[in-house]
Amino acid sequence: MKRFSTARLSQIIFLFIFIFLFVQTEYRGNDTISAAVNSFFRADPLVLVSYLAAVKSFDFLLLPSLLMVFSTLLLGRFFCGWICPLGTILDLVTVKIKKTAPIRLFKGNFKYWLLFPLLSSAFFNINLAGILDPIAILVRALTFFLYPLIGDGFRTGWVGIYNLVGDKRDMLAPGYNIFKDHLLPFRETFYPLAFLSALLFVLIIFIERYERRNWCRNICPLGTLLGLLSRFTFFKRTPVSLCADCKACRTTCPTAFDDEYLSKQDCILCMDCQHKCRQERVSFSLSAFQTHKDNFAPERRVLLGGILTGFMLSGVFRYRNPDAMAQILRPPGVRDEDLFLRKCVRCGECMKVCLKSALYPAALQAGFEGLYTPMLIPRLGYCEYNCILCGQVCPTAAIPNLSAEKKKLEVIGKAILNKSHCLPLARKINCIVCEEHCPIPQKAIRSRTEQQTNDNGQNVTIQMPYIVEELCNGCGICENVCPLEGKPGIEIFAVKNRNPIEISVNDTTIKLPIKKENTNYGY
Amino acid sequence: MDRRSFIRILGIASFFHSSLLKNLFAAEGPIVAVAEGNDPAQITRSVINKLGGMKRFVKNGDTVVVKPNIGWDRNSDQAANTNPLVVKAIVEEALRAGAKKVKVFDRTCNDARRCYVNSGMEAALKGMKNVELKHIENERFKKIAINGKALSEWELYSEALNADVFINVPVAKHHGLTKLTLGLKNVMGVMGGNRGSIHKNIDNSLADINSVLKSHLVVIDATRVLTAHGPQGGDLGDVKKFNKVIASTDIVAADAYATTLFGLKPEDISVTVAASKRGLGEINLKKVRIVKA
Repeated sequence: MKRFSTARLSQIIFLFIFIFLFVQTEYRGNDTISAAVNSFFRADPLVLVSYLAAVKSFDFLLLPSLLMVFSTLLLGRFFCGWICPLGTILDLVTVKIKKTAPIRLFKGNFKYWLLFPLLSSAFFNINLAGILDPIAILVRALTFFLYPLIGDGFRTGWVGIYNLVGDKRDMLAPGYNIFKDHLLPFRETFYPLAFLSALLFVLIIFIERYERRNWCRNICPLGTLLGLLSRFTFFKRTPVSLCADCKACRTTCPTAFDDEYLSKQDCILCMDCQHKCRQERVSFSLSAFQTHKDNFAPERRVLLGGILTGFMLSGVFRYRNPDAMAQILRPPGVRDEDLFLRKCVRCGECMKVCLKSALYPAALQAGFEGLYTPMLIPRLGYCEYNCILCGQVCPTAAIPNLSAEKKKLEVIGKAILNKSHCLPLARKINCIVCEEHCPIPQKAIRSRTEQQTNDNGQNVTIQMPYIVEELCNGCGICENVCPLEGKPGIEIFAVKNRNPIEISVNDTTIKLPIKKENTNYGY
Repeated sequence: MDRRSFIRILGIASFFHSSLLKNLFAAEGPIVAVAEGNDPAQITRSVINKLGGMKRFVKNGDTVVVKPNIGWDRNSDQAANTNPLVVKAIVEEALRAGAKKVKVFDRTCNDARRCYVNSGMEAALKGMKNVELKHIENERFKKIAINGKALSEWELYSEALNADVFINVPVAKHHGLTKLTLGLKNVMGVMGGNRGSIHKNIDNSLADINSVLKSHLVVIDATRVLTAHGPQGGDLGDVKKFNKVIASTDIVAADAYATTLFGLKPEDISVTVAASKRGLGEINLKKVRIVKA
């Protein structure tokens, strides 16, 4: 039985913390969610650097990542070996996977050709770093694929038991409730891009058959960035090169020793070589700055070529389909689409936490650069009036963290009635379920009583709805509850001007020339 | 006295037999009890007692369903949901009358967790033994044949259908379509499926549902009332304190009386009219005995 190294212990602890925080990113009866759930992203140097490049300013939410950068400068790429949950998962499964030979394509400068264009295009306002960030890949695979699957499995089983034994199922309820209240997702949600998210994750595991920690050593942009920062660390391994008579470290080491010596950019400080060295020659220590044996890697042509590629990529992904853009609805508080796309890390946290499952990852509707960014789909879920969870979990404040009072006034879009479809307007049949559900205290949807002739020629009294656009915040509940099956009679459309609405509560005088139909009894 | 006089007296005396007398007074119709006061729990209790006490409805070992309005993510002051103190009083009375279990639920319009918490229902019923406050579980809906004027069948919550006693506890408030929502409309909280679609013929649909799901007792919460922008409001300026609770075994009579509190006539509410035409209760308040508790 092999001994647990300290690094391995740290990995397991952080993996549990990650899973725990993931499960905690959910409405659990409290309007405030612990800031800790997005800690991994706030401490992620790739998020920091791409944010700085794209937004050209700093946000104090990202202070932990600054600390991580400084720690890496001092100690090296310990994040990969001690903290990264994706790395831990790879370490745990890799022993079960038989290895063949490394893929030559990934060797050499491949990882720099990935990192530099990503950072460069971020500087030119296309921030796609989050798509390949390892934490984001893991959170998205869990949020869009695995977690709903587990929840659905439990739920189907639970319903199945009811269909078998009926009310006798109540005996098992205490046990099931522990799962339901603390571990499972509250509602059944199925996400688009579930397949892609699962695929990215599975591919990363799949390539383990070619080399151990294949993703980490050859592809991961975060790892590559941390590697660049590790060039000047004070941590040093003795001996620097493989011993002529042994060379066991080459097989023991998960990420380094492509050459004869240990490159600091590759070393993830797992210290397995130290534990497994039979001659006990290996030691790690802090020492003064020492010159590096190898050349400046990557080479200058890779750096310049990467920057140029990033610049060209930033021009390639700019097309946005106007029809699709008319229905791209962003979370509340997002006023500017361009700035949002630059700040959004595509981590998936907001979509995970959304109370009513209103947020879904965009595929190509907002252009390729909008991939995995959150959009509101009212027909599937609306933005709950009093909820402020998404702003609290966003690690870069792409969705601002607003108080409930402010958030209610933020405009997501505006509702438009479809006169060809809406039951009262098109067919003179009573409804106004949309008005019923409008959460604005003075009602952004109102109705007037009219005498109409219906399709059968009968004279009927109908409540005809209309929208007070100045009061609508685009939450989407009207579209969500419209009883028409298929296309709703009312839809939320995106608007450019998202200045907050003005409502005065506790005071029923409204500064609008709208008659208060059907709303009071002379009290 | 001679024999003929004696027999005459016996004949006339029979007219004063208690069962005949009872029938004479019974022509007065259903009873609606009303209580007014600052303590919601106390006026709820007194209004139930005026109807004969909870023991008239709940027998030992009964399963009781109390169906309040918990539909909206609003706090108690905003008057969109039933006053939790009223609900708690009813639950306590049911337990005291010998109920084996009291189930409280509603199919909410907003997020169920937020509604149950912010309405005050969770806090009010916390820790009470033999009381179940649970979210709706979709597998418990059962398709029921209704064969009504508007609906042929609909999914109804089996817990409500299987209850020994069904206590309907609406909060009286304004509603855009039906003008007011009271006891007859409160049963929408046990309906499954696409509830919005019944709004095209809401009067007959509600009469249909109430025909198959009878409320043994209706307690209308008029302690604080939403008078505009209902059914969920949000503006405290729309809330008025009436400090009243109404109870009756006749759902139509209860709704009819509650309507008058808003300055309207019972006939103004088409839902109530349709229900009375269906024989679900008495809409004419002159034929109803209003009892102040």
